Amino acid sequence: MTRLLRKLMPRGGQVDPAFALTVGLTIVASILALWICTAFAGASVTQVLSTMIEGALGRRNAVLATFAEFAPIALCGLGVLIPYRAGFFNIGTQGQLEVGALAAITVVLTLGGSPWVTLPLAFLAACAAGMAASVIPIVLKLRRGASEVTTTIMLNFTCVLLVYAMITGPLKDPSAFYGATPPVPAPFRLAAVPAGGPHLGVWIALAALLVFEVILNRTVFGTQVRAVGYNRQAALLAGVRVDRVTILAVVGGAAMAGLAGSIQVLGVTYRVAETWSKGWGFTGISVALLGGGPVGVLIVSAIFAILETGARSMQALTGVPAALVYLLQGIPVLVYLAVRSSRLGARKAAPVETGSGSEGSSSQARAGGCRMEGAE
Amino acid sequence: MTDQAVLQFGLAVLRAATPLAFCALGVLLAERAGVLNIAVEGMMLCGSLAAVLTAVLTQNAWLGVVAAVVVGAVTGLVLGALVVLLPADQVVSGIAFNITAQGLTSFIYKITVIRGVQLIGPATLISLAGPAARGNFLASISPLTYVALVLTCLAWVFLFRTGPGLLWRSLGESARASHASGMNVRRARMAVLVLSGVLCALGGASLTLAWVRSFTDNITMGRGFIALAAVYFGRWNPLLAVLSCLLFGAGEALAFRAQALGSGINPFYYLMLPYVLTLLAVGLMGRAVGPKEAGKPYLGG
Repeated sequence: MTRLLRKLMPRGGQVDPAFALTVGLTIVASILALWICTAFAGASVTQVLSTMIEGALGRRNAVLATFAEFAPIALCGLGVLIPYRAGFFNIGTQGQLEVGALAAITVVLTLGGSPWVTLPLAFLAACAAGMAASVIPIVLKLRRGASEVTTTIMLNFTCVLLVYAMITGPLKDPSAFYGATPPVPAPFRLAAVPAGGPHLGVWIALAALLVFEVILNRTVFGTQVRAVGYNRQAALLAGVRVDRVTILAVVGGAAMAGLAGSIQVLGVTYRVAETWSKGWGFTGISVALLGGGPVGVLIVSAIFAILETGARSMQALTGVPAALVYLLQGIPVLVYLAVRSSRLGARKAAPVETGSGSEGSSSQARAGGCRMEGAE
Repeated sequence: MTDQAVLQFGLAVLRAATPLAFCALGVLLAERAGVLNIAVEGMMLCGSLAAVLTAVLTQNAWLGVVAAVVVGAVTGLVLGALVVLLPADQVVSGIAFNITAQGLTSFIYKITVIRGVQLIGPATLISLAGPAARGNFLASISPLTYVALVLTCLAWVFLFRTGPGLLWRSLGESARASHASGMNVRRARMAVLVLSGVLCALGGASLTLAWVRSFTDNITMGRGFIALAAVYFGRWNPLLAVLSCLLFGAGEALAFRAQALGSGINPFYYLMLPYVLTLLAVGLMGRAVGPKEAGKPYLGG
């Protein structure tokens, strides 16, 4: 645990007081918000917290549900985190997730055959679909200088609506009364590994976190990504192929978001339907911002997953609306941002304003001193 | 189509376009002063809940509008504290704001449901002349739609034909130059964000008071982002932006129609219209047209 904590800290293994303060204040503010909301709803904090934790971790099925919730959140967290490291703010994870899910289920339904062949193909198709959904924002950014914030938001909705058009049109299950694909046939549903444990997708998500922890922090490419994100001009002068690194980082992130869609449809929901998806892609944004690195994404995703699954039994037992969870996912980010950007939480002096307009769009993601961890 | 059908369709377009127009104005004015307002969706949600809740509790739609204005100003202050005073990153703050606003509105909505409040707003603002207006197009339009149209024209005149409007735009082109010319950049941007919040909340109010008369979880369903698209598609010009809102509103009205009539084209393609058009427009024009410093935090004194 101490090693894990040390990993979260900046290099040198010493606890940065500003960082500790930021985390501390974020936690205090979250608890305060929780307290106000539960009081408003007429319940006690301890009761709310205990039913929440009981509902998320109390029984075997609850733990499995939490694991299943964790996987897409963590993968979408990676989907935001990796491009962010390269100075590209990928808000399009929700759309990438949805097209990924649709691609996966289409492969499974049309190919059939042996799961050993078809499932890997379905995962690949999901990654490819996610990547495809990120191509337009990349091209528009690198060629036309268009802010990826705008284009990925627009593509989110385009992708979701495209998926809806497909599942109410060509891919609709004829026997369903609403827009939905046919269900995934039993042999292609992700098995529990080991039997009675979390489904395969959870392990895939954990593996992805591990792989990107290594890639981002222990390889030349990871260093290049950070260099590009931190100062594009300097990276270019240092001989980094800036555009190439950006493209790879964004496409890699989008692939993870697409993968999240596939494991969710093959492991949990078994079909893509209207409003089948929770906002895992959007949750991924909070997770990436709070997590700051793959290990952080793991921790924050686990917390968010516990909140999500715990909220159901909390609502049933205490009458406090489950919407409380979204408050508990939004407020920490706001507080974290506020403290990081203020003098209290600033690790260094305020960043120098980026050169005169030459990098307008790409500096947006990092401007104002709220950099990701490890970007130094 | 009969005359009556044309009239009904026209009204449907205006109903769908009015919330967009308010929000587009809010976003546009903020961006012209150098602040990206991604939080438009959350502000709209807050406004829509405040409006319908107040209108139901007081049985007065206009008081609902007032509540939306107040809540909108507060949201503007909150966002301004983050992105102007600190300043935190505008995009990240906006997104975090949206998540929080969705949680907050949904939470409050659920509590009102638990406490047995029937969230069906009064019909005062649906049309100018009430039920008597049947068949008369101009009298069937919501008063809020007229307000939006007037505000659009005012915004255009203000931005492009007055001195303060020029200063306002200069804030979005170069905050340093504005500072050098004696403007208090932070105070000005705070004021801009309060106004932007009020407009976005009015957009929410026109959704819940002049259209659906109720509230459900996430009722705005991304309309704030459509407004954002309208601003880009309308090249940061109030008149063009509101024209885009009418176009996008027509897309939405067509989608409902297609759903109801079961025409050959999938309704979701109509709903896709704003986003695809905006992507095309952004792709064609690149970054050249927008306010230069929109999104850049001002770090100077």
